[in-house]
Amino acid sequence: MDDHQLAGTLDAGPLAAKTPVLDTVTTEVAAVSGIEVDAPLPAVRLQGVTKRFPGGRNHDPVVAVDDLDLDIRDGEFFSLLGPSGCGKTTTLRMIAGFEYPSAGSLQIFGQEVGLEPPNKRPVNTVFQSYALFPHMTVAKNIAFGLEMQQLPVDEIDRRVAEVIELVQLQGREGRRPKQLSGGQQQRVALARALVNHPKVLLLDEPLGALDLKLRQAMQLELKRIQEQVGITFVYVTHDQEEALTMSDRIAVMDGGRLLQVGDPEEIYDRPRTRFVADFIGDTNLLIAEVLDADTARLYDGTVVRVPTGAPAGSTVTLAVRPEKLGLWHADAERDLRLDALTGTIRRVTFLGNAINYEVVAGERAPVELVVRQGNTPGIEHFADGERVRVRWLPGSVAVLED
Amino acid sequence: MAATVDPPRTQTPTPASAPDEPGLERAAEQAESRRGFLIGLPSLLYLVVLFALPLVIVVVYSFATRSRTGRTILADWNLSSYARLFDPLVLEIGLRSLWLALLTTVISLVVGYPFAYYLATRSPRVRGVLLVLVMIPFWSNFLIRTYAWRVILGRDGPFVRFLEPILGTEVQLLFTPFAVVVGLVYGYLPFMILPLYATLERLDFSLVEAARDLHATGWQAFWRVTWPLSRPGVVAGSILVFIPSFGAYVTPEILGGGRTTMIGSYVVRQFLSARDWPFGSALSVAILAVMLVAAVVYFRTRDREA
Repeated sequence: MDDHQLAGTLDAGPLAAKTPVLDTVTTEVAAVSGIEVDAPLPAVRLQGVTKRFPGGRNHDPVVAVDDLDLDIRDGEFFSLLGPSGCGKTTTLRMIAGFEYPSAGSLQIFGQEVGLEPPNKRPVNTVFQSYALFPHMTVAKNIAFGLEMQQLPVDEIDRRVAEVIELVQLQGREGRRPKQLSGGQQQRVALARALVNHPKVLLLDEPLGALDLKLRQAMQLELKRIQEQVGITFVYVTHDQEEALTMSDRIAVMDGGRLLQVGDPEEIYDRPRTRFVADFIGDTNLLIAEVLDADTARLYDGTVVRVPTGAPAGSTVTLAVRPEKLGLWHADAERDLRLDALTGTIRRVTFLGNAINYEVVAGERAPVELVVRQGNTPGIEHFADGERVRVRWLPGSVAVLED
Repeated sequence: MAATVDPPRTQTPTPASAPDEPGLERAAEQAESRRGFLIGLPSLLYLVVLFALPLVIVVVYSFATRSRTGRTILADWNLSSYARLFDPLVLEIGLRSLWLALLTTVISLVVGYPFAYYLATRSPRVRGVLLVLVMIPFWSNFLIRTYAWRVILGRDGPFVRFLEPILGTEVQLLFTPFAVVVGLVYGYLPFMILPLYATLERLDFSLVEAARDLHATGWQAFWRVTWPLSRPGVVAGSILVFIPSFGAYVTPEILGGGRTTMIGSYVVRQFLSARDWPFGSALSVAILAVMLVAAVVYFRTRDREA
């Protein structure tokens, strides 16, 4: 069976069954609430979701998730990204049903599920440590969810065979999880969840235990499978690169709060807060004084064209990615389309595919910048101590809110 | 220059030491194993003299003959003591012991499992407190605690006083099989709880979450995941309760009052009052065989799980 046929057979199951249900729910909600519904119903909708755990220090409750509003669209690959302890896993566990929200509303395709037990939710989870049943074979692991739903035996067999082919585990059906490699266990975990045709698939750092090469291969594989089955994926990760590579949209979280939601380009190119700018990729943070609506001045006197929207005289933080900066000799001719800053190279770091230059400008309150030049043939290399001009397109600088 | 001078110097030691190295290695290994033997020697002597030797004596006596006066004649080796194991009376006592021991094991499991599960899912501090509570009874004498049950179950005890007005008839709890089972469960429950706790504590509870996530109800998750994965603890606990219950002596003597004779008491009677040491020894060997079967079941199960 080739991929197209496979996608066809798999799609027929969940989507054919899902679409009419979705329509009735949409109209029902619209009728009840009297709200005009033109946008399709989100796969997952969190409104004011808060989770407090008892017993922190001084017995004060610990707020793991704080007043979260979030819509996850039907069919998208959505990532919850943040450092450990940011509340992303707790959010996922609330969607799965392993934790109940302390406050707020949690809907899956318009249905309030916040207090439903996990077995009654149309979602399935791929666990961080896979959580495969060690006493069952691969086939039994995968069939578990279908057996619990008491599907007819021949349908279970058919769907298990189908999903085993999807994740390319043919010939491993009779093995125990222990007899499989990490990557294969990962596929079993995925198959065990997907075989139930969930409306939303939840993935809790599923690639964390794999080595780099395998992780990269599995990223592509996961993306392929997601596109093939068309199910909404909610993916929890602390790896920003992974989130950028795979996601349609990313939500960045810190301290239980949602900082920014957007597609990977938006998150990377236009971070709204210092945390987002800093957590995702490398960035230069620059303090500037606002001159007027469209310009601001750095400490060394360089005037930057940037629409801050802040009153003149106030201070703003600007963020610019090292690779958006270009490096020229200090005596290079001026280009009026670009903003520029003149400084001295303090340190050169060779990265293999690129070279990092640390540039310092100004004396009393120096401005420090990292410039990254791709290690492409013909590019000019600079040395420590050289006077250089750093130039950039005005649009590549983002203004941060904090 | 240096090249012509150096080679003889570096080469001479190599052929000289090379054949010696395996010998040195063997000597070191022998010293190692000799040290291991010396460390184990005291325990080995202790076990041979105080465990293996008495056992051999019991086995030897079981083939001997009892004289008219009750002395054991270490001659005319025969199997008549073993033949007597199939007397209806002996079989009855044996089956009763088996039945009471099994009942004790099942009740201990039913009572102990939920407690062990509760224990394993508590915070470490609560676990510590509860584990101490499980072990506190061990700090006082078993005989005394069993006599305490005589008071609790006796004529003036709370159970009888409570039940008699309700039922309107005379109630006899002490000196019944019921009392014996109560005493056995009381005595051996910790042996069930501790191995169960050890297994459940190591259980990966994300497996239970996975089962719930895959549409299992709480009960289904328990029977399909938790129970099969805790089986090693169930088997270990059952063996640890079954073996001492089967051969119990103190509890049936004190709480059964000689009316509910179990095999342990019967063995003691052969040695003390009947003065039939060969038969008592044969009974002991038979008990040993039953327990050996139980132990083999245990190790087989454990190896299969691993």
